[in-house]
Amino acid sequence: MLRPELNELLTQTGPGTPTGELFRQYWIPALLAEELPEDDCPPVRVKLLSERLIAFRDSDGRYGLMDEFCAHRGASLWFGRNEEGGLRCSYHGWKYDVTGQCIEVPSEPDNSNFCTNVKLRAYPLVKVGDILWTHMGDPANRPGLPEFEFVHVPADQTYTSKRWQECNWLQALEGGIDSSHVTWLHSGALKSDPLFKGARGNQYNVNDLKPFFEVAEADGGLFVGARRNAEEGQYYWRITPWIMPSFTMVPPRGDHPVHGHFWVPIDDENCWVYTFDYHPVRALTDAELQNMKAGFGVHSENIPGTYRPVRNKDNDYLMDRAAQKRGEHYSGVTGIAIQDASLQESMGPIVDRTKERLVPADSGIIKARQKLRKAALALRDEGVTPPGADPAHHRVRSAAIVLPQEESFLDACRDAVTATPGVPQTSV
Amino acid sequence: MTMRPILLNSCARAATAAEARYRIDAPIAPSRGTRVVALDDGAAAVVRRAAQQHHGGAHFLSCRSVEMPADGDLAGIADVLLVRDDGSEARLSAELAGADAAVMVATTDEAAAAARAIGDACTLQGIMTAGLVLAGQDTRVTVSALRPHARVLMVTHDEQDLTELLTALRA
Repeated sequence: MLRPELNELLTQTGPGTPTGELFRQYWIPALLAEELPEDDCPPVRVKLLSERLIAFRDSDGRYGLMDEFCAHRGASLWFGRNEEGGLRCSYHGWKYDVTGQCIEVPSEPDNSNFCTNVKLRAYPLVKVGDILWTHMGDPANRPGLPEFEFVHVPADQTYTSKRWQECNWLQALEGGIDSSHVTWLHSGALKSDPLFKGARGNQYNVNDLKPFFEVAEADGGLFVGARRNAEEGQYYWRITPWIMPSFTMVPPRGDHPVHGHFWVPIDDENCWVYTFDYHPVRALTDAELQNMKAGFGVHSENIPGTYRPVRNKDNDYLMDRAAQKRGEHYSGVTGIAIQDASLQESMGPIVDRTKERLVPADSGIIKARQKLRKAALALRDEGVTPPGADPAHHRVRSAAIVLPQEESFLDACRDAVTATPGVPQTSV
Repeated sequence: MTMRPILLNSCARAATAAEARYRIDAPIAPSRGTRVVALDDGAAAVVRRAAQQHHGGAHFLSCRSVEMPADGDLAGIADVLLVRDDGSEARLSAELAGADAAVMVATTDEAAAAARAIGDACTLQGIMTAGLVLAGQDTRVTVSALRPHARVLMVTHDEQDLTELLTALRA
């Protein structure tokens, strides 16, 4: 349960809000690199943290992210022409470079310096891995670029997709921290999904429906360990890292690629879910890539040309009651990502957390909310840099491991939850 | 798959902010019967502070002594003597009679025997158990004792986690 003011504090991310300012301390995904595939390609509208922006790639390959609307009359630059080193408004020809600086106002005399006084708010846009990242906060406090392992392995070892989720970012993130739902909602996928099936760990999941949890602090957030019974005297542990504000990884299964998510607020009632799969030491196979692009694993099948899932709230997620009855899909919705999205969106655009009835098994979520709240208030009141901004905090991994019952998962898994180049993931 | 028409009660409409106004707004049932038990002296101070801040229905208790069986076998621990926050004494067996959740708080390895005794009692009675261990001193033995019983185990540096947990659980 959260008091109404705390629910608002954590769910509102627009400019000037405490959690909005918290997000502005981090590099966050703004677009997939594939959305700006070549120099002078069409610009892309981007809404992030309740700010309307336009992204473009100029004639020299430089990326820009700036206010969507022309300083002149407020027309959208999405209708603009991306040419000769800048984005030109189609209305009266005002032109801007990637820093948001106006470089031409055609109605002014040739030797006028008027345009030097016109600058749109702009943010850096930097390609790291398959993602274009931005930092929307004070440049003086800009941290180093992201060091998450999935954006630093060779290109043939990683794949990232993106989907629109029609609810507040926090209820989506909380699904990523809460691993107890896997046993129920995703039970069908453990048997059938090509990117999940066949792992020995799946059987432990199926055999023990009442996991125990341990929550431990990490430099950048939390590690949440879910423990199930394994062979005599042993536990099967699934360890989920959460790095603030909104990065989570799913514990791996067998030699399948490792996956996870970034949950990025579009506005207070929508978010982007960036979903990645990578293998630390080998290229993804053609079959794995095909399956990811087809929406298997934690990815989604999207409407062609968009990042909206085919299965969405307008068509009741193509609910299949017969498949539900047959046990193929526990909820009747196909696909792990959409199984999550359907339930999280059903909670409403911003779930009313004053009405919830949490149980001790929700302690990971309780602790994450506490850390977000403390970080947002410490930033607002004392200017404290939040956990997770330091790129060193990004070098984590999820892990799945069988341990003797007396062993502490964190003591035993220090190396397993640290991203080390060239070292395989710890998985069962 | 056969496509069906989108109906007025479909997800597209049912999940809007406007429709949220029609969710039933009945009072939420009273809290769980939660017992918060300090397992050692350091934890007792933490639990006392939490009791002052927290205004729910939880009972706040400190572990005074574990009644050991004559043969010293921890598996046979008879009962635990507890002290309420008003100074009166209580038996674990009586306190657990009306409980459906127990939160054990520890700060040292001296808490291991009590953790085991209370954990066993809760397991037998089907009472949801959580363990909160405040890091600082060596607590590995206590953590190991709590692990088989505590549905959730949190090792933390922040004693505020206790009140956060209780508030979140409506305890």
